[in-house]
Amino acid sequence: MKRFLFLILAAVFVLSACGGFQIGDSEGSNSSEEDSASGETEGSDAEGSNGETVTLDFWSFWGSEQRRPVIDKIIEDFNNSQDEIEVQHTYVPWGDIWTKNLAAIAAGDPPDVIINDINTVKLRAQEGQMEPITEFVDSDVQNRFYDQMTEATMHEDEMYALPFNTDTQILFYNKDLFEEAGLDPEDPPSTWAEAEEYATQLDVEEGGSYERIGFYPLIGAGSDVWMMNALGENYVSPEGDVKIDTEPVHDTFNWILEQKNKYGENTITSINSQFENAQQDPFMAGNIGMMVQNANYYVQLRDFGQDINFGVAPLPEKEEGNGHTSWGGGFVAEIPKGAKDPEASYKFIEFLTNHDSQLYWAENNFDLVAHEEAGNSAAESDEFSESGREVYSLMVENMDNTLLTPQPLVAPDFASTVNPTFESIISENTTVEAGLEKAQSDLERIVENNR
Amino acid sequence: MYKKKENLYGYIFILPWIIGFLGLTLGPLLFSLVGSFTNYNVTSQMDFVGFANYKEMFMYDDLFWTSLYNTLYFVAFSVPLTTIAAILISTLMNQDIPGMRIFRTIYYLPAILSGVGVYLLWMQLLDPSTGLINQFLALFGIDGPNWLFDAEWSKPSLIMMKLWSAGGSMLLYLAAMQGVSKTLYEAAIMDGASRVQMFFRITLPMVTPIIFFDIVTSTIGSFQIFQEAYVMSADNAGAPENSLLFYNLYMWINAFNVFDMGYAMAMSWILFIIVLILTIINFKFARRWVHYEGD
Repeated sequence: MKRFLFLILAAVFVLSACGGFQIGDSEGSNSSEEDSASGETEGSDAEGSNGETVTLDFWSFWGSEQRRPVIDKIIEDFNNSQDEIEVQHTYVPWGDIWTKNLAAIAAGDPPDVIINDINTVKLRAQEGQMEPITEFVDSDVQNRFYDQMTEATMHEDEMYALPFNTDTQILFYNKDLFEEAGLDPEDPPSTWAEAEEYATQLDVEEGGSYERIGFYPLIGAGSDVWMMNALGENYVSPEGDVKIDTEPVHDTFNWILEQKNKYGENTITSINSQFENAQQDPFMAGNIGMMVQNANYYVQLRDFGQDINFGVAPLPEKEEGNGHTSWGGGFVAEIPKGAKDPEASYKFIEFLTNHDSQLYWAENNFDLVAHEEAGNSAAESDEFSESGREVYSLMVENMDNTLLTPQPLVAPDFASTVNPTFESIISENTTVEAGLEKAQSDLERIVENNR
Repeated sequence: MYKKKENLYGYIFILPWIIGFLGLTLGPLLFSLVGSFTNYNVTSQMDFVGFANYKEMFMYDDLFWTSLYNTLYFVAFSVPLTTIAAILISTLMNQDIPGMRIFRTIYYLPAILSGVGVYLLWMQLLDPSTGLINQFLALFGIDGPNWLFDAEWSKPSLIMMKLWSAGGSMLLYLAAMQGVSKTLYEAAIMDGASRVQMFFRITLPMVTPIIFFDIVTSTIGSFQIFQEAYVMSADNAGAPENSLLFYNLYMWINAFNVFDMGYAMAMSWILFIIVLILTIINFKFARRWVHYEGD
């Protein structure tokens, strides 16, 4: 009897261990074919040609009171637009959604469509986590989007996702404070030097400490944004060229440190912590004259800062002619590897990113959409107030200045290596020279190892 | 015959556990051991790469060493400090005064509350300019540090935060202390022992088995610190300056951010070996100081 039990247990164990080994390209695609085959025979997921509907499982992290009704309405419109495909929305919280997706792909039971980060599309494509969609995409669809967004969805001449939304960083400034300081409220600074000069006029210093600061680059934006602003490109290219130990980057850090030393660590910490604690927003309270923020910050100003008279402008450029380069991210709709019916999934993501869906999303969330024309329509939408239209127009225009930063395949985890060095320069534990030299060589070594 | 049947029932009753253990624990465990010698990326590849992951870890990956250092630092301070705190609190809670139940409840409460909510609360307390802690220090003219924003203070901040949950172990110590026979104290009082002497000569030796248990489990637990660092350096895992890049956090980044699951599996086995060695050392030393009644 003991031997018998042992055999059963051994069999269970071997099976459970084998379960984990069912991977690899050929096996993976086999199992997904089996999945779709069994789906058809079971009936519930059968092809539309059989006269039955395909049910698609769509995962997003849009569960908020604001966003959920908007996406649900778009899904409803899609479901009503035809009778072959029925999309069901599954809300998976931010932070869980992508690890769950990865586990579901490995288990051979992924969602049919998922919203995912645009800057990591190439990496997921390389790792075989997505279905390519090139065969479904026609040129009309491909040309819908901002070029840099389309580019971010390409890997080895295949398109892997359709861009959904994006964002951009712009300068917000307080017009009333400008007037008070004798500055022209319609003439925001356009260079770093001007920003510095205006800041000095906006500063209010009392008894050795600052009651109000004019401008500090690292409020609302990281040092990486300013590095890109100075370089006009990312400091590590998709091919792995590293441009950290360069003159523009040296200038960037020296400029930031100059501002930091002018205001002092305590002032900066105090302002930053006011933001983090979401108590009184220091910009709304008039404690900052100008700051760079994600353009979506407008929504907060609209909802909570009624009295504030603000203006928006592109990021100041390093010096005249250098370019007002800004940074943006965004999300895509993609089809995970092994999804049961990629063609049906594609029909849905095509709908998600068409003009009307994108305009509806833009108008109801004040979010910059990937569809260029829908963005232009939103910029003139009657749904927004005058200031809303002004900000949205600038967002759309600013896409010309906006860089996306797809994770370079030769150094996907470069941030863990170089960010601490940048932080160390800002906290003055390392000099600019030594820090940038180290960051440059660290990153070059990673790129070299991964090539 | 009867005996055999009884054995069979025994096996049947524990079968669910055995299946669970083999399928959900031992299976994945061995799978991760095999995976650690591959370039497994979860979805498309699993080629045998020999010791490449281990070689990379020990010879080239600075962040591996950074994360190991951060974790050892955390273990080295948080385990002894929480143990001492728990013993001290439970000693206080072991007094026979009115209303003690309320105090016991209050001190135990933090052990019930845990997770992200508590970390967010601590982030507010530790805020350099508006946080209660620095405002309190300011009353004495002390300019408090930047806590989580300062690479030198970020780990001590987490250790301090961990002390707050000492209430969990306190409960164990309290139970052990209440189990110490009253006759020992009566005899000591007859001999004229002071309270301090009684604590060091009677209470402490009698609860050493619990101290040992607590040290072993909290060492293992502390090595696995992840959530705190994940929440408290949310925008930029490990920030400031990678001072909060703990071992498990770095393992997680490798597994789920860059899909280098094989490497993450190799890291998990190194962690397992480190913890195993420390636990064996713990057990070896235990013979010298742990006192079991009846020994």
